[in-house]
Amino acid sequence: MGLAESMRRLWVVTTLTLRYLLGTRRVIAMAFLSAVPLILALALAAARVATFDNVLFQILMIPLFLQVVLIFVTLVNATTLIREEIEDNTLPYLLTRPISKPAVVLYKYLGYLIAVLVLLVPPIILAYAVTEAYQGNGLTANLDILGGFLVTTVIGSAAYGAVFLFISVLVRKPLAVGLLFGFVWESIVGSIPGDVPKLSVVHYLKSVLKGMIAIGPMTTYQSDISAGTAVLLLVGLSVAMIVLTMMIFQQMEFRQKA
Amino acid sequence: MSTVAEATGVSKWYGEVLGLNAFTASFGTGITGLVGPNGAGKSTLFKLLIGQLRANQGTLRLLGENPWNNVPMMRRLGYCPEHNQLYGWLSGQQFVEALLRLDGMPTAKASTAATAALKVVGLSGAAHRPTRTYSRGMRQRAKLAQALAHDPDVLILDEPLSGADPMARVQILRTISDYAKDGGHVIMSTHVLYEIERITQNIVLIHNGKAIASGDIHAIRALIDEHPHAVRLETSHPRQLAQALARMEHVVSLEVPADDVLLIRTRKPDAFYKELPGIVADTKLDVRSLESPDDSLEAVFRYLVG
Repeated sequence: MGLAESMRRLWVVTTLTLRYLLGTRRVIAMAFLSAVPLILALALAAARVATFDNVLFQILMIPLFLQVVLIFVTLVNATTLIREEIEDNTLPYLLTRPISKPAVVLYKYLGYLIAVLVLLVPPIILAYAVTEAYQGNGLTANLDILGGFLVTTVIGSAAYGAVFLFISVLVRKPLAVGLLFGFVWESIVGSIPGDVPKLSVVHYLKSVLKGMIAIGPMTTYQSDISAGTAVLLLVGLSVAMIVLTMMIFQQMEFRQKA
Repeated sequence: MSTVAEATGVSKWYGEVLGLNAFTASFGTGITGLVGPNGAGKSTLFKLLIGQLRANQGTLRLLGENPWNNVPMMRRLGYCPEHNQLYGWLSGQQFVEALLRLDGMPTAKASTAATAALKVVGLSGAAHRPTRTYSRGMRQRAKLAQALAHDPDVLILDEPLSGADPMARVQILRTISDYAKDGGHVIMSTHVLYEIERITQNIVLIHNGKAIASGDIHAIRALIDEHPHAVRLETSHPRQLAQALARMEHVVSLEVPADDVLLIRTRKPDAFYKELPGIVADTKLDVRSLESPDDSLEAVFRYLVG
């Protein structure tokens, strides 16, 4: 198989995934949820809240965006990538073409990553811009805050997406298991004192924020790793989850659903 | 190449459910029909042939190769699944074109090949409509178009006529015949014997996961014809009608199970159906309904498996 053919396959599977995630009705709910940080920032600005500043922005966005919006958007999108094709009986169209199952996983994951970043990045940039504008600052006044949230959005989307994709090839009802992981495991494990939070993704995302943002609630967060290390660990987790997903998917059998 | 696909003692089970039970058969060149009632194991066999299931026992070869996770072999294979799901948000043209590009075709060539394939199956007029708006017959034809657009060596068609309207059936059968005339090989499943008779003489009969007969359709027909075929008539004068039908040499038994029902068993159903209208007209007896409890392939298989 030549490189040109592989690139064509990558393009087709990725664009099919993008069209499915961004071109069908589900995108309306996802876009609305992704826009919650922006809506909140606009509401605070419109209500002329006196304490609305960079610190309040972080205090609100860390639990709301990082621990609700990011998890929910990645969960819904990542678990549909393969499971929905199995449920809809459309997978045979892909698997009876000269493309390996691991390649299908990888290309779909790339499509997922683009789709969730299209959904999540603009609202967080705009929410930051509203906050800065409300304070009368220029848009470049606190770029560490914007940078911290953008890095956690990208790396969080990659890590959560890889975990949820892995769950989706393991169980038939990945949404339920993903909800347990995303909202029960992550919030409980992530809030226990000591070393236990190291077993959660959100700990590393908070470590990134702590390392990147100079002022705000994350400066007192208990973490002994740098932002760079946290990013590397989450990239490692993402790669490991994707490789495991490929290995499981390669051995999966597909009995036609009635 | 004399054998397109070969299964030797292939078994496949899902938990405690047996999908295929030591299935042994070979599928030759040209068109071969895989005929069996619903639940016989046809789709399981096809899923094994296209490499989406792995046999628990036995060996399976398609085009001389083991199909499980065999990516290069997919270039030589065209598959039409039984279900009618498509990517509903794509048009027929986009659907076929996208799948052709997965074969590695450049965009322009894929577009031309998709247009040609949709024309072959008679879908040119609807090529740019979203496939979610297609009727079942149109979906069948779109599935056939994607299966043959890359000019594969073998087509595996799972119930390609299921749910298709009469026009679509004609179009689909013609397309399959033309493909085979051009040197392609087809393995096609159906649960309706007469459908396959129109395009091939070669069939494999499958029942309860086993191949119970294979070869020339006429030989299998003869085997079937050795068993009396039952016909149930509703008439207000069953005894008079029975008297008239008794003259037919091939009628082996006549019963009146109810006041307005006549049950006939004949060794030559074709001759019976041909002669019946004349007898009814001559005797001027009313016949309100006619049905054959043996019409279903399930009954034929009951005969064959004893």
